[in-house]
Amino acid sequence: MNTVVCMKQVPDTETLIKINPEGTGIVTEGIKWVMCPYDEYAVEEALQQKEKFKAGKVTIVSLGPDRAIEAIRTGLAMGADTAVHINDAAFYEKADPYATAAALAAAVKDLEYDAIFCGKQAIDDDSGQVPAILGELLGLPVVTLVVKLEVSEDKTKAVATREVEGGHAVVEVSLPAIFSAQKGLNEPRYASLPGIMKAKKKPVDVKTVSDLGVSVEPMTAIKEMSLPPARQAGKILEGEDAVEKAKALAKALHEEAKLI
Amino acid sequence: MAERFVSERNLRFLLYEVFDVTELLKYPYYSEHTREMFDMVMETALRIGKDMLYPVLDEMDKNQPELVDGMVKVHPVVREFMRECGQGGWIGADAPFEFGGQQLPIMISLVSNFIFAAANYSASVYPGLTTGAARLITSFGSRELIDTYVPRMFSGEWQGTMALTEPQAGSSLADITTTAEPTDKGYYRIKGQKIFISASEHDGVDNVIQLLLAKIKGAPAGVKGISLFVVPNKRIGEKGELVPNDVNVAGIYHKLGYRGCPINQLSLGENDDCRGFLVGEPHKGLMYMFQMMNESRIGVGMGATAIATAAYYAALEYAKQRPQGRRLTSKDPTLPQVPIIEHADVKRMLLFQKSVVEGSLSLLFQCSKYRDLEMVLDGEEKERYSLLLEVLTSVVKSYPSEMGVLSVSQGLQCLGGYGYCEEFPLAQYYRDIRIHPIHEGTTGIHGLTLLGRSVTRNNGRAFQVFVEEVEKAIEKAGKEQELVSYAKNLKNALERLKGITTHLVGIAVKGEVELFLADATLYLELFGIIAIAWQWLLQGIVAHEALKSGPIDADLSFYRGKMYALRYFFAYELPKVETLAIRLENNDGLTVEMQPELFEG
Repeated sequence: MNTVVCMKQVPDTETLIKINPEGTGIVTEGIKWVMCPYDEYAVEEALQQKEKFKAGKVTIVSLGPDRAIEAIRTGLAMGADTAVHINDAAFYEKADPYATAAALAAAVKDLEYDAIFCGKQAIDDDSGQVPAILGELLGLPVVTLVVKLEVSEDKTKAVATREVEGGHAVVEVSLPAIFSAQKGLNEPRYASLPGIMKAKKKPVDVKTVSDLGVSVEPMTAIKEMSLPPARQAGKILEGEDAVEKAKALAKALHEEAKLI
Repeated sequence: MAERFVSERNLRFLLYEVFDVTELLKYPYYSEHTREMFDMVMETALRIGKDMLYPVLDEMDKNQPELVDGMVKVHPVVREFMRECGQGGWIGADAPFEFGGQQLPIMISLVSNFIFAAANYSASVYPGLTTGAARLITSFGSRELIDTYVPRMFSGEWQGTMALTEPQAGSSLADITTTAEPTDKGYYRIKGQKIFISASEHDGVDNVIQLLLAKIKGAPAGVKGISLFVVPNKRIGEKGELVPNDVNVAGIYHKLGYRGCPINQLSLGENDDCRGFLVGEPHKGLMYMFQMMNESRIGVGMGATAIATAAYYAALEYAKQRPQGRRLTSKDPTLPQVPIIEHADVKRMLLFQKSVVEGSLSLLFQCSKYRDLEMVLDGEEKERYSLLLEVLTSVVKSYPSEMGVLSVSQGLQCLGGYGYCEEFPLAQYYRDIRIHPIHEGTTGIHGLTLLGRSVTRNNGRAFQVFVEEVEKAIEKAGKEQELVSYAKNLKNALERLKGITTHLVGIAVKGEVELFLADATLYLELFGIIAIAWQWLLQGIVAHEALKSGPIDADLSFYRGKMYALRYFFAYELPKVETLAIRLENNDGLTVEMQPELFEG
């Protein structure tokens, strides 16, 4: 089974994030970058499907600047076969979900695939739109929040279990299709040392957006970005007894918090 | 549980900035690798440590291995981790390609082993022991032994161990009594008892391969009669099936710490059916074993540093969060309390830990680089690195072990009463680290080894080479205004070490061996302080250079922290050299003269 995995490199969840002086994004220097955790489920699913069918190729497609190659190599070390790196810093800088999906669609359209796997969302900007827009651009069905996937022997259809509020929904879809991976789909493997050794020899096709013939403009732009407000210190109410403390609480809620 | 158990930034600093592992890539043996790959190896090790090992640190301590019907039951993560280490190639990470290894630099396997050990020391021992045992077979065993055992050890299916100690022979290996009786069938019949053998039987693997010392019947007395054998717990039967090899677990010990890994007593050949396979030539076992022992000794220093590092980060995290007391200058009791990290004495305790663990880790990288260079070079250059390793092995084993215990103790102290409670991780680290000054040669044995053998052999050639290396760092630092005073202090300390060494050798020349070696442990301690000061100076040179060139914001605190730790070590630790030197100069024979009966009453 041939598959494509759309993957994004994102800041590590443990890294300390700062907003840039313009307030339009984060400071990208001096932080740690990793493969988006949801994309790891996508890579793992692609590898498991390939192993199940004992044939096929897994191609990673990623839009990102030079540093994105690190996450691409991680995917290759896990076992993916090839990759397309859309390396276009200027485009990437301004890319919104639509522009991202347009670039990915252009890179994917010439590849052979039975399915495309994406993470359900990138954990940095949390838009969660790319799989759906990609489906629209490629004219493919999209199944989101997949936690289980079974592909038919003839690779013409698949049955996917989706996570829905309070339970699960089972969906049948014809292939090729796009699946967005939710936590629980699988347990992503660790890269192995032989895998890491092999990864450096695997082909990575580097392209700019103009190489791909993409000339779209983003439809949205970030005007302002801010960190959540720092948590305020708590306040201990004074009072001789419960009645006094309740009075102090009512007063604080009325005068300070202005809630009552 | 604390958030962090290692500093990735510090690993990168040592690996790339201080010891530049990429210098090795120019040698054909390592030319297959790239820095990008090293980064990925580190990343992956960090993830395995964080996701698989660290979460069960406490569980493995609380649920100790149990002996049930002759089998030792261990935590299920052991099987999972051994499988991952096998499939992932970690057990054979630094073994040559020709034996199925990944041929990674020793510096890189140091990084991954250190990460695993900091995440969960007990768990890290299983693959670590297997690596060492397999290396012994590939170095000295026949092709048949290699083909039979090594692939399944590298795959994590079979555990490797080293089986040396016996009830009556611990530090004194010359007195082992386990026997090997030759047969005409290509194997020896083994009979005897071994104790304290880590991971020597457990249900986390399908088989265990003991690399065991025994005496062939009729062999010369003492260390010259010791041979090395492969003794599997299950041997391979006629149809390739595994059959019991008469290796029985007579009991398991209940230890102070490091409880996730069993140490067993083994009874071999109770039914005269334990087969052992000779490794290399007869009577050369101890020499072979010492090759692995030297690696395991560096491994012990690494384990101690790893535990003390995890303890340091746990103490640091606590100190940043725990509000207690106010500044000494603050008179107003209504002001909020400050986190304890604001108090000078807590900062002193943290600086002590930082300077011990980061200094120790630096020395481990230094020795690993020497091992890498020893492997890729020939002739005189190779000899130089062998000499440096000869003189530093006892130091890199003992300093982190002895000082690591004190470092964890200071970490525990930062938590006050909570540090003494098992609900907080420091108590476990304190118990876990205590094995290190004991196993793979006690500190006392290493004092004797360093002074009685390494420093004096070949007219002190190894010692001389070490002095030259330290002098190089002193010279380099001496060219920087900000580092001049450090260079001068280390120079003085080094002169003191040279003087003491000459003085002690003078006593040896007079034939007063007991007097010469009476305070060898103190000599080792003094040597260790100088070695770590040297490592801090090397780190300081790099950090100072980086600060001069204006690092990015994220790195500024890192380098400034390094400069403070350097300053701390030279201000608080290096002066201890003088006290030790005074004692070492005074050869009044106090401990030699003291009589056993005078301890009574």
